[in-house]
Amino acid sequence: MKFTTLTAAAGAVVLAAGLAACGSSGGSASSGGSSGTGSGKLTIADVAPFSGADAALGPTYLASCYGATVTINKAGGVLGHTLTCKSVDTRGEPADAVPAVNQMFASTPSLALVIGCTSDEAASVVPIINSHKMAMFCMTGQSEFDHVHFPYFYRLVPPDLEESYAMVAIAQELHYKRIALAFGNDIGSQTFIQPAMAALKKAGITLTTNQTLDLSATTFRTEAEAIIQSHPDAIMTEALGSADPTLFSEIKQLNHGKMIPIIGTSAAISPAFFKSAAAAVGSSTFASDFHADNLVVESTGPAFGAFKTALLSQQGKVPGATGDFTTYLSAPGGVHLYDGINLAALAMIMSKSTSPSVYGPDIIKIGDGVPGATVCYSFASCASALKAGKSIRYEGPGGPTSFDSYHDSTGIFQIDTYSPSGTVNVVGNLTAAQLRVLS
Amino acid sequence: MNSYYTLNLIIYAAVDAMACLGLSQQFGVAGVTNFGFIIFQAAGGYAAAILALPGDHANGGFQSYIGGWNLPFPLPWIGAAVVGGVLALPFTFLVGRRLRGDFAAVGLLVTAVLLNLLVTNYRPVLNGDAGLSLIPAPFAAPGFSTTSSGYQWAFAAGAVVLTGAVLWLVRRITFAPYGRSLRAMRENDTVADSLGKNLLSLRTAMLVTGGAIAGLSGGILVSYISTWSPAAWGYAETVVLFAAVIIGGAGNHLGAVLGAILVPVGFEEITRFIPTSNNLPPNLVPSLEWVAIGLLIVIFLWVRPQGILPERKRFIRLPPSADGGARGPARSPGTAAVTAGHGQPAVVLEARDVVREFGGVRAVDGVSFSVRKGTLTGLIGPNGAGKSTLLAMLAGTLATTSGHVIYEGRDITGQPAFRRARGGLVRTFQLASEFKRLTVMENLLAAVTGNRGDSLRGAVLGRRYWRADEEAAIRRAAALLERFGLAELGNAYAGELSGGQRRLVEIMRALMAEPSMLLLDEPMAGVHPNLARRIGAELVALCAGGMTILMVEHELAIMDEFCDPVVVMAEGRVLAEGTMAQLRGRSEVVEAYLVG
Amino acid sequence: MSLFVASLGFGLVTAAVLAIASVGFTLQFAVTDVLNLAYAAIMIFGAFIAYAVNQAGQSVWLGLVVAVAACALISVLLNVGVYAPFQRRGTAPITMVIVSLGMTLIIEFGVQAVSGGTAVSYTMGNGPTLQAGGLNLTGVQVVIMVLAVLVMAAVHGLLRYTKLGKAMRATAANRSLARNCGIRASRVITATWAITGALCGLAGVVFAIDAGSFDATSTDIFLILILAAVFLGGPGQAYGAMLGALVIGLATEVSAVFIPADYKYVVAFVVLLVMLGVRPTGLLGAPA
Repeated sequence: MKFTTLTAAAGAVVLAAGLAACGSSGGSASSGGSSGTGSGKLTIADVAPFSGADAALGPTYLASCYGATVTINKAGGVLGHTLTCKSVDTRGEPADAVPAVNQMFASTPSLALVIGCTSDEAASVVPIINSHKMAMFCMTGQSEFDHVHFPYFYRLVPPDLEESYAMVAIAQELHYKRIALAFGNDIGSQTFIQPAMAALKKAGITLTTNQTLDLSATTFRTEAEAIIQSHPDAIMTEALGSADPTLFSEIKQLNHGKMIPIIGTSAAISPAFFKSAAAAVGSSTFASDFHADNLVVESTGPAFGAFKTALLSQQGKVPGATGDFTTYLSAPGGVHLYDGINLAALAMIMSKSTSPSVYGPDIIKIGDGVPGATVCYSFASCASALKAGKSIRYEGPGGPTSFDSYHDSTGIFQIDTYSPSGTVNVVGNLTAAQLRVLS
Repeated sequence: MNSYYTLNLIIYAAVDAMACLGLSQQFGVAGVTNFGFIIFQAAGGYAAAILALPGDHANGGFQSYIGGWNLPFPLPWIGAAVVGGVLALPFTFLVGRRLRGDFAAVGLLVTAVLLNLLVTNYRPVLNGDAGLSLIPAPFAAPGFSTTSSGYQWAFAAGAVVLTGAVLWLVRRITFAPYGRSLRAMRENDTVADSLGKNLLSLRTAMLVTGGAIAGLSGGILVSYISTWSPAAWGYAETVVLFAAVIIGGAGNHLGAVLGAILVPVGFEEITRFIPTSNNLPPNLVPSLEWVAIGLLIVIFLWVRPQGILPERKRFIRLPPSADGGARGPARSPGTAAVTAGHGQPAVVLEARDVVREFGGVRAVDGVSFSVRKGTLTGLIGPNGAGKSTLLAMLAGTLATTSGHVIYEGRDITGQPAFRRARGGLVRTFQLASEFKRLTVMENLLAAVTGNRGDSLRGAVLGRRYWRADEEAAIRRAAALLERFGLAELGNAYAGELSGGQRRLVEIMRALMAEPSMLLLDEPMAGVHPNLARRIGAELVALCAGGMTILMVEHELAIMDEFCDPVVVMAEGRVLAEGTMAQLRGRSEVVEAYLVG
Repeated sequence: MSLFVASLGFGLVTAAVLAIASVGFTLQFAVTDVLNLAYAAIMIFGAFIAYAVNQAGQSVWLGLVVAVAACALISVLLNVGVYAPFQRRGTAPITMVIVSLGMTLIIEFGVQAVSGGTAVSYTMGNGPTLQAGGLNLTGVQVVIMVLAVLVMAAVHGLLRYTKLGKAMRATAANRSLARNCGIRASRVITATWAITGALCGLAGVVFAIDAGSFDATSTDIFLILILAAVFLGGPGQAYGAMLGALVIGLATEVSAVFIPADYKYVVAFVVLLVMLGVRPTGLLGAPA
């Protein structure tokens, strides 16, 4: 039949074209970067959502990238190369992230590092990036990465479990005896509930009610009423988008105009969230009784000073960065990825190579520090220490790092609040010991 | 140039093409509009995942799901197809019943949203909103790299080959007589029903087939991206696939492939190359993408509803005319008239106290009469007398409110229309009911019952299996066309014929079903008197050969000339029975039917 | 117990919003035979029109009036420009659904392109709180319920006592027969779309008021609730839509008391599927 020949021909053509393309590319999995020195650019790719529900994340990390790379370039660059940033929009979905990352590898021969990879897409892109032997600093607390070995994966943020414990620790510090849970039904929020419930039990705090919010709904009155009637001292919550602001406004309405104290997660520390929540219940009302856990980010000291200078120099130059730029100084991802870039750059200098398979181990050495290492707080000072032949330990605005065998460095937490104008204030710290008691 | 991106596009194209082929088969060929289509791809993806994954305590136990049997390739993909197909079965309650197409579509769309919500919220089953990750690729084993260039090429080639196989399969189904029945159902399901097509069985088969194809596509996709979550299968994904099939060409399988390349792959990837600008708000491009898809759907449906590659006309070569165009009477089934004891022909069809109510109004109010074998019985009455309603109840296209219909001695009151047709009781329709986008030949061939190729199994077994039956049917159809003088229009679309020609096609089509009894609903309406005469003569000849005909007509002249006996109805009841001469003498008939 | 009573109160508010929306939707179907799935998109369009007015410093209630007019206009244009031409061509109902889905994408994501992805709220006071016997409602919510009752009464009056209303019922029942009685179908249809479009706009604004915080995709799920209410009462039956809205509104809020709150919409879904499977003409429609 005429057709079968046609299909066979079509199939053959496709395969032949493919093989031709395969042949021309040189065949094997390409790894980014080149070893050895030379002039030219090195690219750092920000693989994160730039569109969709989490569109705020991509620009946040990009701001840090700009800040870090500009400072590094000013201090002489890395092995004669200058650094530049590139954004790769994953659209916040695993299936869309895969071709985005593949296209990145196809079009970025000078790639030296990947930053970003949030919970939205980490599951699908981390294996790909790892197989290309490219180093990555990821912003995902997904427990998947607590015990799975990806040699090129580095994480400076704690697993989501730890955030649950941090929230409970905050409740302890504020002497709350009765807590209600209100979490959204999406990935990140769902993983908080079980550990939080276990930790509350350990802490001897009563769980008054556990309401799961359907994020596609637009009212939560019955849930709000159920929370109010259970008489909690505070509510632990994460429900992104319009859900939390809606919940807050309904609680206030139903509770005779009074807000119930809120304990939020680090995702609540963002200008977009503050704006929605303030619009829903009023900025002073919201600010007056809101606490959130956040990773320790320094707000004073030499590391923070260097970071602040670097970041603020990029104000107005970062595409997509809207809202109050100074909040990026304490945004969870931004700070730690800035540190990640510095660690990678210093590791490259230390190992005299821009290839991740070579410089990877030095990230650990510089982050954890060997005994007798000089502590330094900025790329410039660390680079000159290296040049002078010293061994260094880098400590950035994200605080000291301590990598475990899975390249996870769990940070320590602090307690953040908002002022009515939206500025973030650090009002306390949580120690690792406090968290360990609850786990 | 890194080939991984090219490979990525090839694999996505293959997966989307496969899904679109499944959708094209369901929607384009069979007219089953499955707005829940994405569920089947999702189910296949999950099935492949839980079959391939190890138990959920692995990898640190961070996800919780059912299954986890770590089965080797190709079991996960087979499982994906099977689950996709089996999942279709409960949905037949929405498409099998006589539910308006748009209502059924809404139901399916809602089901997709509902299932997405349930899977998202009930975490232990499929790990909720986080979905499943670290799904092993085929042949994954320690030490064997699934990320090497060679493996990826093999994977892509495999996906393309499987898509080619699916294309081969759906073409085989569509080009068989079974495919013709599907298309007839798409064109006019009530008429297809009345010609012996079991709509429920056809739709179920299409749901299952399309479901299995969608499931397989899901399994392949999941094995490639190693993760699967509810975000990947919202109802918006179904809309994208529909857009692809509509734009590419519904009913044309290559059109479906083209649509897949243009819409889910091409359109989504093009935007990746738009340079990001400082001043554009981040949401603008994805929002505009959706607006563009909506515009494309509406514009295509208006300007070119058949799509870029429309459904191709099936030319059927007519055998050279045999018997020099002998215009003898059609061979009719059954032997010469069987007489009952009294010398009168046996009763073939009997109505007993048949009643039909519509919201309190009795359109048919207790009608009883019988039709004897070999007669050309007429049924006349003024407008609103209930003739067409009665005919519909006799044929089974309308249910009785009460009363019985007896055919060849058996009570068929509860029998659906398609079974009556297979039993030899066939009807025609008053309003134009040809299958517009089938050729005249195809219209006739669609009415044939008993063609070996008219089942899913027969279609898959291929041309060699059904060729003989098909050629016999073609010969019969060609002879009919010859007799009714439409041989040169055999390969014209039925929708392009004149009114009179369509009437003839209707009658020929009914004859192709080899009926023992024909129920004709105003076959001469709007037909040129000469043609009407010719049709009448044919009908008389058929009856002489043993066929029984009950004909509803308006023209008294026709009743005069051809019909004996004649039944008169008025206001839902039988007024009188007899020859026209007898009836003209009855005053109540004349009064009731002053139009005469 | 008091949670149950409170949830009844909330259910009534949801039912009020739903009733205004469902009556409009079902009348569009009755008179034109189109399941206008773009209805929810036009609702959110209205909500954002009112938001724009609100942002310009005016009261939300003024914004509501503007939104009502805008949505009436948009709905008439939608029918005249899109649905009617397709129907004149003899397009099958199922294809009309696909067309309406296409229009949904255009309108909803057009709104999103302009408004962005973040959630917004109206600037408005909530009025005094009414608390009685376990109910816990704000002044604005009471206003919404009163509005809904007024709208139902107005629709009832329209359909039963005005010439236009009778013409609408006639056209819905049998268009060709109505035409034979001298009813200008096209006029009746345009008037219907204008009125139901106004209802759609009103529904959109009160929906947004009730939601507190909304964005361009907020009405996606609400469409399912509308469909559930409409099919429960019977597609094309105005009184059926009112009944359906009451049942669905109460059922969703009350169910959140007894089952995990994230499943509260499942009730509506199940009702809809059961009705489609068992009795597609709805509770108040004639059996098929």
